[in-house]
Amino acid sequence: MEKHVVRQTSSAERVQKQVGRGLAYAAISAICLVMIFPVYWLLITAVKYGADIPASPPIFIPWRLTGENFFNVFAKQGIGLNLFNSIVVTALSVLFLVLIGSMAAYALSKQALSRRTTKGILIWILITRIFPPVTTIIPYFMIIKLLGLIDTRASLVLTYVSYGLPFAIWLLLGFFQELPKEIEEAAIVEGYTLSQRFFYILLPLTLPGIAVTAIFMFIYAWNEFMFATTLTTLKAKTLPVVISSFMSDKYLDWGSMATMGTLMIVPIIVFSVFSQKYLVRGLTFGAVKG
Amino acid sequence: MKGASLSYRQQEKRGVILFLTPAIIVLLVTSVFPLIYSLALSTFQWNMLMPLSAPKPVGLANFARAFVDVEFTGALLRTVLYVVIAVPVEFVLGMAIAFLVTARIRGLPAFRVAMLMPLMMTPVVVGVLWRFLFNPEYGVIDWLLQAFGGHAVTWLAGRATAFASILIVEVWQQLPVVIFILAAGISSLPEGIFEAADIDGATRWQRFRLLTVPLLRPVIAVVLLLRIMDCFKVFDALYTLTYGGPGSSTELISLFIYKQGLKFFQIGRATSMSWLFLVVVFIVSISFMRQVWKEQAY
Repeated sequence: MEKHVVRQTSSAERVQKQVGRGLAYAAISAICLVMIFPVYWLLITAVKYGADIPASPPIFIPWRLTGENFFNVFAKQGIGLNLFNSIVVTALSVLFLVLIGSMAAYALSKQALSRRTTKGILIWILITRIFPPVTTIIPYFMIIKLLGLIDTRASLVLTYVSYGLPFAIWLLLGFFQELPKEIEEAAIVEGYTLSQRFFYILLPLTLPGIAVTAIFMFIYAWNEFMFATTLTTLKAKTLPVVISSFMSDKYLDWGSMATMGTLMIVPIIVFSVFSQKYLVRGLTFGAVKG
Repeated sequence: MKGASLSYRQQEKRGVILFLTPAIIVLLVTSVFPLIYSLALSTFQWNMLMPLSAPKPVGLANFARAFVDVEFTGALLRTVLYVVIAVPVEFVLGMAIAFLVTARIRGLPAFRVAMLMPLMMTPVVVGVLWRFLFNPEYGVIDWLLQAFGGHAVTWLAGRATAFASILIVEVWQQLPVVIFILAAGISSLPEGIFEAADIDGATRWQRFRLLTVPLLRPVIAVVLLLRIMDCFKVFDALYTLTYGGPGSSTELISLFIYKQGLKFFQIGRATSMSWLFLVVVFIVSISFMRQVWKEQAY
């Protein structure tokens, strides 16, 4: 009732509101355009004919498309092995991260340890998340070298599992804490052991959280470059390492660059479109909850 | 009865420790051990590129030298400059856009997808892609500039324009994070207070300055902390966009330390700088976190 009294909208005010709304939509559309255009340009360059790529004025909407760039990067530049490396390393990393991460998150969500121990472990995990990776890369490189693991996929899996773990635990902990305590209590009464409860009852219940974590870890391992370029030389090179060789202007093969870039980002785009809501939740996690 | 429950509790505790063990081992091996090893290495002078060179113990000399090392302090200052420009720009734009999108608009899912695109992109690809866009001969940016009557800019060739370029790419890729977090913060604010302010006849600006900003303070602190920390980590896109050049004009701290250690193999120098860098990161993040915790105490 009160609202009506306060907000008696005159027609002039309504027009003003309409204009404001129109301006807001225009501003948002402009921002979306700026955000999307470079991505569009990468995808479109990948399917352009070589002659159309450097054209001036630029061809914004190509009228002929080709798959020759894709043929080139696989047949001539042999990136099949690198793609395979990327897929294997990412898949194994995500698997281990989710398994070890959810076990740790479950353990931390229980009150079996003293509060101080739990808090200490959590703070430590938070701190390791803050570390800039460059601060440990030199000793880490020397350790991997001593172990004779340079240029192996195993060394990359080990790296991604350990550097992704703090974030994985952090994300998963929220999901485990949200589970009602009664479920586990009922299982205890039924005589389930700790690992039975975890694998048969709680893990299936946290599947949405596990999916979110898996997507984040997928993106991390799939995109990672600093360790990949440091720890691999030839056989175990992943896609980002190959793409980084396009940083030299002397190598003006923009078609191949765009094609490899497309191969890298298409799986991520597919994932993020299908799970946008969860992704945004993961991105803002903690920030809003406090 | 009591004995049984005790053994159950012990069993639980043992299980919990067992479940934590893999994570603890992994974190020990990859964070604690390398850090200690790095601290040990930082007290040696050692150029791994020289054949037969052996590490020579020099005590704390590497640390003392780092303070007067113009290359190191230059990289730190450039990083500070980068933070001081990029973070406020992202924050102001992010706040404005977050307000626009939380004011009940249609097509929010489409907007969300558009915002996720830059964010999800492989940083290495971002670097090479923008190299292509900035290209003076057939880059789209210079073509657009000329089409609208401006001058072409040789973006990556000049020191100042190259620094501007890395800032543009930074804002393009990271603005969405700021928008998402601030928008989530704004929509979680209690509606009632704003209605009360409306009744009292507060203007929009007053509402923003006196209500939204103070209420959002913890969220704002988190956004700023996240962005500053990520600026310290910037590496991949920088590596493929400019590789620190021309000269060292875009060489930020992470890239600088990386080059010292893994390109020139000045192990002692690079590890001592890593440690100093860590100390800086620590001080910044802890002071921010205190701010957040203090806010939550209310």
